[in-house]
Parts: sequence; C-alpha cells; structure tokens
Amino acid sequence: MRRLSILAGATAVLAASAVLTAPTRAAAAAGEITVLAEDIPAGLDYDGPSAAIPTSQTGMVNLMEPLVYYKTKPANSEGIGLLSFGFADANFEGRLAESWTYDPKTFTWTFKLRKGVKGCGGATFNADDVVYTFARAKSVSGAAPIGWFLSNVASIANFTPDVLGADKAKAAEAQKLGDEVKKIDDFTVAIKQSAPNKLFLPVLTIFGLGIFDKETMEKNKTATDPWSHEFANNTNVPSFGPYCLDKWTKNSEFVVKGNTDYYRGAPKVTRVVYRKVPQSSNRLAAVQRGEAQLVERLTPKEFDSVRKAKGVKVAGVIGNENLFVHMNFKTPPFDNVKVRQAVAYALDYKKIIANGYFGQATKSKGPIPSSYPGFSVSKNQYDTNIEKAKTLLKEAGYKDKGDILLSYVSEKQSILLPIATQIKADLAKVGIKVKLDPLPQTQYGDRQLVKKDLQFALNDQEKPIGVDAGYATLLFFVSSEKGGLNNMVNYSSPKVDDLFAKVKNEADDKTRNTELAEIQDQLMADLAWLPVVELKTQWAFSDKLTGLAWHPDSSIRWNDLKYAG
Amino acid sequence: MTRFVARRLVIAVVQVAAITIAVFLLIRALPADPVATRVGFNASPDVYRKAKADLGLDRSTLSQLGTYLGGSGTERGLLAGNLGTSWASGSTVASEIGDALPITLELISLSFLLAGAIAIPLGMRTARRPGKALDKAVFGYGLFAGAAPEFWWGLMLVFVFYFKLGWAPAPLGRLSPQLQAPTQRTGAILIDSLLAGRLDAFWDGLRHLILPVVTLAFVLSGPIMKMVRQSMTRVLGSDFVLYAQAAGLPPRQVSRSTLRAAFGPVLTLTSILYGFMLGGAVLVESVFSLGGLGQYSVKSVLEFNYPSIQGVVLVITVLSLVIYLVLDVLLALLDPRARHR
Repeated sequence: MRRLSILAGATAVLAASAVLTAPTRAAAAAGEITVLAEDIPAGLDYDGPSAAIPTSQTGMVNLMEPLVYYKTKPANSEGIGLLSFGFADANFEGRLAESWTYDPKTFTWTFKLRKGVKGCGGATFNADDVVYTFARAKSVSGAAPIGWFLSNVASIANFTPDVLGADKAKAAEAQKLGDEVKKIDDFTVAIKQSAPNKLFLPVLTIFGLGIFDKETMEKNKTATDPWSHEFANNTNVPSFGPYCLDKWTKNSEFVVKGNTDYYRGAPKVTRVVYRKVPQSSNRLAAVQRGEAQLVERLTPKEFDSVRKAKGVKVAGVIGNENLFVHMNFKTPPFDNVKVRQAVAYALDYKKIIANGYFGQATKSKGPIPSSYPGFSVSKNQYDTNIEKAKTLLKEAGYKDKGDILLSYVSEKQSILLPIATQIKADLAKVGIKVKLDPLPQTQYGDRQLVKKDLQFALNDQEKPIGVDAGYATLLFFVSSEKGGLNNMVNYSSPKVDDLFAKVKNEADDKTRNTELAEIQDQLMADLAWLPVVELKTQWAFSDKLTGLAWHPDSSIRWNDLKYAG
Repeated sequence: MTRFVARRLVIAVVQVAAITIAVFLLIRALPADPVATRVGFNASPDVYRKAKADLGLDRSTLSQLGTYLGGSGTERGLLAGNLGTSWASGSTVASEIGDALPITLELISLSFLLAGAIAIPLGMRTARRPGKALDKAVFGYGLFAGAAPEFWWGLMLVFVFYFKLGWAPAPLGRLSPQLQAPTQRTGAILIDSLLAGRLDAFWDGLRHLILPVVTLAFVLSGPIMKMVRQSMTRVLGSDFVLYAQAAGLPPRQVSRSTLRAAFGPVLTLTSILYGFMLGGAVLVESVFSLGGLGQYSVKSVLEFNYPSIQGVVLVITVLSLVIYLVLDVLLALLDPRARHR
C-alpha cells in the first residue's frame, strides 16, 4: 500500500509538472489583442435588460454605429485621445450621416446619409435603417426603453411619456412612429423636434441610439417579438460598426473580428478577445506577463503598482468620474446647510487624493464633470478648515445623537473603504461620529433611487450620459415636481428649478452658460451634493498598444487602437 | 430496495416544492431593488415604472408566484419545466445554468478524485500506525490545509506557479484566450475536447484545470483524511478485525474488510462536501475565472436577479437530493441494516 501511495503521488506530480510546463499557449497573431474586464457583455440590446451594465455598453459601441459622433481633439499628456464636446456642428463629425442641416422654424434636422455602407451580414445601410431604429425606440417594447428615453431627452417630437401611459389603447397609439422621423428618400431622413434643444446632436452619439441593420433585425423577428429584442440581446446586434461578433459565451468570453467592409476602413486591430476575469489582481498579473494587452477597472492601488512596470503602460484621463458625498435634505442633521458645509470643511481632500487614489485625482470644483460643456468653477468652494467646520456645527446647534451611517456600495469596498475610513476620521475631529455602512449594490440602488432615504452616502458611480451641464442638472438637481429625473437627496431649490426652465430652451450659448454657472453656484452654496474629487479613468495596457481614447461612457472603442505586437 | 428508493423520492419532491416556494417568498422580502440595476441610475421615473411592471413586480407576491409556477400567456411556468428568463441578460435561466453547471461539476469532480487519491491511502496508513512520523505529518497537513480559505491558497498558487515561476497558464478561464474552444456538447472542457478530437484544447484545458483542482483538493483532502483515519482506527479496534488478524488472514484481506466497514462515514462526509461544493466552489471559480455555478449564483444574488436565484437554488437542491439519494443507496449496499432504519 505504501509503495502504491508513493508511486501514485510521484506519477501525479510528474504528470502535473509535464502538463503545466507544456507549451500549449496559443500565441496572439499580429493585430489580435486580449482585453480583460470584470465582466463581459450580458446583452447587446440597448433597450434590453443589461444596457445599464458598462461592459454590455462596450459590446454595443464596438458593434454598432451612430449617425453622428464627436470629433477628436489632441490627446492629453498621458496619450489618451479626447473628444471635442459641445453643441455646435463643428463639434461633430458625420458617421452614418454624411451631413445635416437644421431648420430653426420647424425644428427639423435633415440628415444626408452615407452611401455604400455595409454591415457585417452584407446588408447595405439606407434611410429605412434609421427610421426602423427610431420606430423601435418609440415602441418601448424592450425591458428598459433607453432609445425612447434619449429621444425624449433630445425633444424629438412625439417621444413623450404618453408611450408609457396607463391607458393601453392610448399608449399603443402613441408608440407608433409618425412623421417626426421621416424618410425623404433612400439616403435622406428628417427628424423633427418639439422644441429647440441643444442636446439633440449629443444624444445621437450615445450608445442607446446606435443604428440597427433593419434587414437582419427583421429576419430574426418572431410573432411575439416583432422588434427582435431576443435576437439583439442574446445572439447578435446587427449594425454597421467596425466589428462583427465572432463568438459570445455569456459570462465568459466575447470575441469580435474587424468588419472588413467598414466604411471608415477595416480596423487595425483585427480580432479582440474580451474576456471576463473577475479578480482584478489576475487582470493585473496577466497584463504584466503579456497575456493580455489591455485591462480595465483595476483598483487605484493596482494601477499605481504597475505604473513603472516594464512593458506595461498606465494612462488615464479626468473624464466624468467623480466621488461625491450625499447628504439627505430630508434627514437631520443634514437638513441644515451649516452641517453640510461643516462636513465639507472637515474633509482632508489631500489625504483622500493621496491615500484613496494614489494621486490620480484632483479636488472637485463643482458637482458637474469639469470636462462637460457648461461647467463652471463655482465661487463657493470648500477647502479643509477644521476650525471653520467646528464653528459652523456650533452655529447649527449640532448635537451628537449617536453614530451617523455612512453608506457605500459594498462591491466597491476595495476602493471606497479606505476613503470612507478617512472621512470617518476627518469627521471625528469635528465631533461628528460616523459608522461605516457598506450595502450591496441592489440595496444601495433601492435606497438611492426608490426610497431616497440614504442619510449620508459615499458615491462614485454618478456619471451623466448626456455630455452637458444642463443634462446633469436635470438628471440630479431639478426637483422631482419640476421633472427632475433622479434627485436622490431630495434637494429642492426654486432658484435652480427656475434657472433650469430657462436653460432648457435657451438658444444662445453665452446666456445658457451664464445661467448654468448661476445654477452651479447655487448647488455649491446649498451643497446639494458635496463634490469631493474628480478621479482619473485609467487603463493598464501593453506598451505596444497605442491609440486609446476616452469616451463619455468609458468604453474603449477598439477601432481606435493599434497594436504593434 | 425499490420501496426504500421510492420513499426517498417522495420526500425529495416535497422538499423541492417547499424550498422553491420558500426561496420565492424570501427573496421578495429582502430590502433591495432589482429594477434600479436594470434601468440604470440615469433612468427617468417613467422608465423605472415600465421596467417594474415588465418584471411583474407591481403585482402582489401571490400573483407573481402563480405566474412563476403556472406561467402566463404563451410563457410556460416552472411546473411545465421553464425556469424563466434572466433579468440581467435576457437569456433563459436554464441555458445559463446549463453553461455554468458542467464547469463546476468538472472542477469539483476532478478535485474530489484527487482528494480521495491522496486522503484515503494516507488516512488508512496513519490509522494503522498512530503516533508515527507520517501520522504527525498528516495531522499537521490537516491543520495547514484548513487554516486558510481556499481562495487564499488559490491566489498563492497563482502567485507562485504563474506569476513567479511562469509554469502555470494565466488564470484567465478554462482555455488560453486565443485558442478556439471545441464545440460545446457536455460543457466539460476535457470531455468536449476529446469528443471533438481537439488534443490541443484538451491539454490546454487540463493545464488550466490543474491549479484550481489542486487548490480544492488540497483543502478537501484534510477533512476526508481525518475521517478515514478516525473510522479506520475505530474499525481496526473492533472484534471482527482482531479475530481476522488472530485467525491469520492475510493483511490485504483484512484491509479490504476494514475499509468496507470504515467507508460509510467517509462516503457520507464526501457526499455532503460534494453537495456543498456545487455552490461553495465560488471563490476558486472566481480566482481562476472559470465562470461556474458558484460564480453564477453570487452574480445573481448581487444583481437581485430573482429568476436566476430561484433557478440556481432549485438546481442545487435537486442535485443535492440526488446526491443524498445515491448516498443512501450506497450506504444501504455497504451496510444492509441501513435499509431497515
């Protein structure tokens, strides 16, 4: 028996060594890259159930093509490409639309469409694809109607909340596309707005209005699913983008190959393996050893650890990611502005930047991302000042009534815990006792979006998808009664509401920016949200990979890349 | 034996029904919101309301239970074999579990085989020679293996064998990223590779499985070894063994009889561990990016993806009951007295 055990053990060790060291690794061919992320696309239908998941958006933007997109501008000092944000025609370039005109009298945009564009399945692009895309959006037949929502935000005529009304007959009527999106000829489409709205062109750049290949979509419709949601979500999303889906194993791997017929030229990176690797430390190790060429969503500490590693580059951009402290206006003690201001003065921003983000962040100057059009530096700023914080608390009559819970998303513990701990220590210095309260994402979402009862929260996931200070204001700060979309701290300011009503339809850029600056001053005076830091969106990648550019959804467009491996 | 199995099956059906309904009701009582995750934090209240209605969450819990069990319109319910559609991906829960389950079964089955190959001979030997050097070493090994969670051992193995020595493949899944996977038939990468005649995929899959299997086997072999040693010690002191030895039976024959008598508790422990590992291998699956059932369960829970949670619990329940049924049958075969208890 003993000899048998020894023999079995030795054989197992030898076999394991032989198999482990056997050189079966399939080397990446030239132009092929492996990208690792914490997840891969869960679905590809932007009106489907997984459109809110960032990695699903990455899949969509690489397979689909928009009508227009932002022009590029020179890269930042770290080599990350940037976009030219704004509302003027000069900020945009035609993609599937070659050119466009706007008639201010009828609020109508006329798009001349590009000819000779081919999709992955060989379908040719024309006006029917555009009309189909908007008709599908208006049908609100998907799980989460993002296409309708964006069209509504852009004031496209008749894309009103009536489509979601309780009266089914009326809603069904409202869901039919009328003349608001009209085919003029095979390569001309007119889209009518109900009112002037500067967000029209920016909204067309968002993943949620990518153009479908109608021909392939309709081939895959069924009697119960006339808009092919099932097909788009689970099989493929046919469009005219730079990549074609090659293989997709949900929860594991998403492989694309370049669309050789892509109208802007076949992609330089010809094949991308986008693989799910949940452990960030494994993603880090893989890029260090050259097994992956690009990795996403490491912790700040991990990014810092490979900043000087051989063969690896870390670069990023201050884009639209921010860290905020939310204080609920309906919950004492934060219903008192002096307490909110005391918290703002108590925080040690330098330590948060140094210890939480390893220097890859800057102190926020306002609640709107500084890269967005309409952002202005508010005159109301809060730098660390412990004495001032104590004075304000005294003036507010603040009394310790036990620990205040500081909530944050537990799945982000590795990033947020050191910062929450720092905040707890900072507030203890002025006499505010805090207890950390990590909550699962779904519970946090429920408390934030539905119940709106989080008393005190640390939040780094609010990112307005519309690149505009006005949109961010509507999304987060306009009161619910005046149409605010997601006013999670129950903030209500008649001044902000009134100013936003003017901003909404203001045609003159200068006046609009002045009004937006006034809004931002008021938000900072009230501390609607306490902006803590703007943090870098970062990536770690092979030093042979170039061309990375930042887009507002933080999804890398693989077509931007070149790989000299 | 037939009556014995039939009785067990009836009890299993009642257990599955009770667990299914309990899980359905309990997850709806939790303070979380699956709709917010689905529509995203940029969504308007109108979009939110529509998504909530589409999921049926605006209806009473009993009405939702009725739909889950009996279906609605053209969609079949659980009683017709439909586990539902994932709220996170839109795929059917059955297909998602069908992808994840074979990965876990392959991982844990190989781990148990390796753990058994190590633990049973060592446990038997140490029982026969208590207090000797090997016994002390095995005791130390048991403590060592159980002293840290399996994901820690996994990370250590990755650090040493992949990152430092470069012997092991990157922990990026079941195959190297640029290697084409074989056609999926069973979902188990080794079997599918062989069925497809893809030896390159077989070796690559095997290389990717070695570290996770060794990690799990390392942790699992500790308790199995202890149980083998304990049972063998007890049986070795029993009258029939002493008599067999006194009668001069060859040691191999005595060992065989001893092992059969000692095997019951070992089998019970192994079966319980196997059932537990169906969902409990999650950390190893996560460390090695394997994407098995454990990872799928955790993801479903974090997303509050009710149909997926219900599906996973149901499948694990059924599999556990099957394992216990097989265990009962094996125990009854090993010890006929068990049939009459």
